[in-house]
Amino acid sequence: MAAPLELSCWGGGWGLPSVHSESLVVMAYAKFSGAPLKVNVIDNTWRGSRGDVPILTTEDNVVSQPAKILNFLRKQKYNADYELSAKQGADTLAYIALLEEKLLPAVLHTFWVESDNYFTVTKPWFASQIPFPLSLILPGRMSRGALNRILLTRGQPPLYHLREVEAQIYRDAKECLNLLSNRLGTSQFFFGNTPSTLDAYVFGFLAPLYKVRFPKIQLQEHLKQLSNLCRFCDDILSSYFRISLGDG
Amino acid sequence: MSLVAEAFVSQIAAAEPWPENATLYQQLKGEQILLSDNAASLAVQAFLQMCNLPIKVVCRANAEYMSPSGKVPFIHVGNQVVSELGPIVQFVKAKGHSLSDGLDEVQKAEMKAYMELVNNMLLTAELYLQWCDEATVGEITHARYGSPYPWPLNHILAYQKQWEIKRKMKAIGWGKKTLDQVLEDVDQCCQALSQRLGTQPYFFNKQPTELDALVFGHLYTILTTQLTNDELSEKVKNYSNLLAFCRRIEQHYFEDRGKGRLS
Repeated sequence: MAAPLELSCWGGGWGLPSVHSESLVVMAYAKFSGAPLKVNVIDNTWRGSRGDVPILTTEDNVVSQPAKILNFLRKQKYNADYELSAKQGADTLAYIALLEEKLLPAVLHTFWVESDNYFTVTKPWFASQIPFPLSLILPGRMSRGALNRILLTRGQPPLYHLREVEAQIYRDAKECLNLLSNRLGTSQFFFGNTPSTLDAYVFGFLAPLYKVRFPKIQLQEHLKQLSNLCRFCDDILSSYFRISLGDG
Repeated sequence: MSLVAEAFVSQIAAAEPWPENATLYQQLKGEQILLSDNAASLAVQAFLQMCNLPIKVVCRANAEYMSPSGKVPFIHVGNQVVSELGPIVQFVKAKGHSLSDGLDEVQKAEMKAYMELVNNMLLTAELYLQWCDEATVGEITHARYGSPYPWPLNHILAYQKQWEIKRKMKAIGWGKKTLDQVLEDVDQCCQALSQRLGTQPYFFNKQPTELDALVFGHLYTILTTQLTNDELSEKVKNYSNLLAFCRRIEQHYFEDRGKGRLS
């Protein structure tokens, strides 16, 4: 399409084009579907918004949230699911729901709630990407949002206590990783030889977990034992993101 | 429950066979129960019917508070109390009954994924419609939810629950959705379920599984509950194989067993 598509998202590190799951989902989908995206990494100048990242801007539209962005790209004829059957399309929706319900709480916890990880890795990294004095406020807000989400969706009333929920969410996440590994098997992508929306989502959720160096790494350890999922992430990184990695 | 406690409960569960007097608790059927709770309760009833385990349904106004996790329905079996479909399936499995044993690993993964899809989209949409859509809240939900309690408790409890649900919706990103967007999500979910079901009698061909019970519970309740408008049930009615699926399960597991028509 003629209009330039600009994506603003969080930047990369540890070998990834972006450290933020949702931004990574959109970037991966754009690569898979051939959409020409100009990526604007949020940096510590005051340019651009840091709100509901990732955000896609075209000449007349501003779209936020990965699901809506992907829909928008599909309507612009950048469709990575072209070759999928109806049943595979249905499976995609189901597996995405599985990722959001079972894996996301534990990923959020590993990044934003686990104190060792948050204070030594996540907060400094995000604070370095945001201008002062917003860098003092925004990471804290993101962390509280993550905790809130975990407690409200998984905490059992009337005791909204984190410790009771932690064991459960990590157990669910490990089960989810096992299920994904079983489903992927030895294929290159989830549906045959070309990557699709589901591959973008799985990559977006797994890659940060796989690559970012954390002090508390129980979920990462579990993921590293599932060699086909690690191979899946590495393949996508080397095939689709090599060029942007070269630019640094 | 911690891991150790859960393993302990499983051990105890495995030791005893299913008793005759197992009961399922839900809220009052006629005046109090809401769409989402009714769907959950029906899913559990369907699951137990499919496993051929007898269960008696008891309606209590304070079922929500009796439940160990705060969610209905819950079952009282022997001297254990288990709530929600997921743990109930585990519990029944510990007693030696399972519907999904014949599935291979990939199919089990698919089944779990589709169950999450129903929970993620259908259940959340039902909750949204009941608690965040002003018309439904005013006309139906508030009145029903607080009906067993005297004034002012009925209002207080209803507002408290509404606040809780709205908080949850905001946390998962549904706070800003409009009703049309929610209905579109329901349509997408039904389309996915319809495509997955295809022309088969059940989701995994010949034998029903807990996924069939869950889908039946939600779809049947949506189709048969009177709301302020019919848009939700219209979305489901667009898919004839889903209608046939509900009818088939209703006939096979509820009418034939002499339980009479589900009201």
